[in-house]
Amino acid sequence: MTEHQILNADTHRDLRIATARGAAWGDAQMACLLTPDEFRRAQGDYPILFRWNAARDRMDAYALLGFENGENLFLAGDRWDAGYVPLAMDIAPFLIGRGAGGGQVHLDPGHPRAAGGAEGVRMFDELGRATPFFEEKVRRLGALDEGYHAATGFVAALQRHQLIEPLTLEITLDDGATNRLLGFHHVDEERLRALDASALGELHAAGHLMPLFMAVASIGNIGRLVERKNAKAARG
Amino acid sequence: MPDNASQPLQQVVIVGGGTAGWLAACRLAAATTLSVTLVESPDVPTIGVGEGTWPTMRRTLAAIGIDEADFLLACDAAFKQGSTFDGWVTGAADDRYHHPFTAPAEGAPRDLVAAWQAQGGAFADAVGVQARIAERALAPRQRAMPGYAGALNYAYHLDAAKLAVLLRDHAVRRLGVRHVCDHVDTVVRDAGGAVSAVHTRAHGAMAGDLFLDCTGHAALLIGGAMAVPFVDRSDVLFNDRALAVQVPVEPASPVASTTLATAHRAGWIWDIGLPTRRGVGCVYASAFIDDDAAAALLTDHLRRTMPERELPPFRRLAFRSGHRARFFDGNVVAIGLSAGFLEPLEASAIVTIELALDHLVANLPPTRAALAPAAARFNAAFRYRWDRIVEFLKLHYVLSRREEPYWRAHRNPATVPPRLAELIDAWRHQPPSDADFADREEVFPAASYQHVLYGMGFPPPPGAALRTDPQAEARLRGQVAERERVLAAALPTHRAYLDALALSPDRTAP
Repeated sequence: MTEHQILNADTHRDLRIATARGAAWGDAQMACLLTPDEFRRAQGDYPILFRWNAARDRMDAYALLGFENGENLFLAGDRWDAGYVPLAMDIAPFLIGRGAGGGQVHLDPGHPRAAGGAEGVRMFDELGRATPFFEEKVRRLGALDEGYHAATGFVAALQRHQLIEPLTLEITLDDGATNRLLGFHHVDEERLRALDASALGELHAAGHLMPLFMAVASIGNIGRLVERKNAKAARG
Repeated sequence: MPDNASQPLQQVVIVGGGTAGWLAACRLAAATTLSVTLVESPDVPTIGVGEGTWPTMRRTLAAIGIDEADFLLACDAAFKQGSTFDGWVTGAADDRYHHPFTAPAEGAPRDLVAAWQAQGGAFADAVGVQARIAERALAPRQRAMPGYAGALNYAYHLDAAKLAVLLRDHAVRRLGVRHVCDHVDTVVRDAGGAVSAVHTRAHGAMAGDLFLDCTGHAALLIGGAMAVPFVDRSDVLFNDRALAVQVPVEPASPVASTTLATAHRAGWIWDIGLPTRRGVGCVYASAFIDDDAAAALLTDHLRRTMPERELPPFRRLAFRSGHRARFFDGNVVAIGLSAGFLEPLEASAIVTIELALDHLVANLPPTRAALAPAAARFNAAFRYRWDRIVEFLKLHYVLSRREEPYWRAHRNPATVPPRLAELIDAWRHQPPSDADFADREEVFPAASYQHVLYGMGFPPPPGAALRTDPQAEARLRGQVAERERVLAAALPTHRAYLDALALSPDRTAP
């Protein structure tokens, strides 16, 4: 794995970042991190599920994009077939790093978008000034960073009310093949229904109620994702 | 001929291949239900008319049904974002201005001129970004954009011989054009004077209802059979010779995206960059310098960029500036060089072909009876256009302050068309505007005149007693600056675009 670099105008003066969509640019992922701030825009297209990180010390929300590793059913050639692209997908190949003075923009030089070659978009001009594209990336990185920190309280509240339960999903396709989805969690609707007024009031006061219902509503997208998978299988 | 006045026009015979003939074949076959035959002599080599097009070529190729990437690869083409003029005002080292294709920012001409005056610098830079984008050797579009769409307005530099081959293949294979390779020896006319057939050596008589003369300078039908006189314009435009050469370019070297026109003491030199070669040529007036002097000027120009390499021999062309008195006569329409020729200073050759075909398709005569009124309209429209082109080319010379005899002769009032002289007088008091150019489809819009006028240092008019928006200048400056930031960051270099296109796995040059 390549070392992340702190982005700076001198080293990265001529850096061009590929902005096109496509598997070749690292977009072929089955799930993408999502923050509660994004749920409203994401719930129209993606199932919103939860998953532990590798160390099992933090649980995050994800937009489900496919049913197996490397499968992104929203990717149609060089087009992203949905209205909203999650921030975590959009900021690649940049990351937020933590430095002495707070957040820093880091670059993953091994990301395909960073090796996008001569047809990408410049992040700095000839004089080392940020381009509008870089300014926009920084804005989105900031939004993602903020949302990611706010997510801790959201997931903790859901856990406190025991609203998150493992999801066992076995999908049977038109051609008879089956896919098992492992390791994801979703909001337990029975428990949500059973919450009393004070619990609801607490969730509402903290601003968690709206994203919570968005996540519940998004589960209907699993069926549409299966349709995408069937359509793709039918095309061959 | 009352008996056949209502006879429908069905058969079109195009005489001559080349850019004009094959563009005509493609355009008519794609847009009409006419049966199209093109007779091309195997004996006559085609002259590559100009290697620069106008932005109209994108619309024409799309209408014909050719994919842009296929076209770029097949014709070894590159993007053209306008023209760069070196040495036209004084000949000094820093004497340069741009005439970009993208129209100036929104605004009344007076406001644009006032904003430019307030901020200083070049006119083209004050009203748009394209000149600076082209100076950076960036492409006007990204490959991910749909074909023929651009972030900036653009045309092409291309290999005209390859364009003719691409168009021929497309016409014959996709559009059902009948291609006859034969030599036309006589033109057969009926009692009314219309052409009824062309007689060929091996295929005999080829009858038709409408004939397009695409025979180049030979003008076999319009000049020969129909004997339409040639209107000589060399009293206005003096150049009558050109020396042309093609030189290879280094791989990975920057590709210019403007036609570079460098003035010399008795004409100018064109320099057109393609991905694999440059087309360079010296245009001159034989009344002022001889061929050897012109060859020396061309050699000097080439030596500046390639001091070491051996130069290929120059090809010498002689021409006469002018056009036919009528372009549509009886049932014959002259398209291309048969209609006329002017020096390629503003790449007007191919666009004139496209405009003629657009006009023909839009006003297609359904029957023989419709021919005479159609011809009258066509002739009026195109005489207007040729006159405007002659004037616009002349403008480049009239505004010069060079002192060589050739340039002084160009400024002699007796050689300036009266309408141009009147306009220049008017422009001392107000900038060129659409009101000066009344045609719905002007070849050169008012913006082109502004670019040449103010690029060449013509004094801007004094402010009139009008209330103007005090914010307009700041707004324009902000718009232009922001657009430059975005485009300079987003656009690939011209070379990177063309190299990536050539390497793209899903494309192979036909």
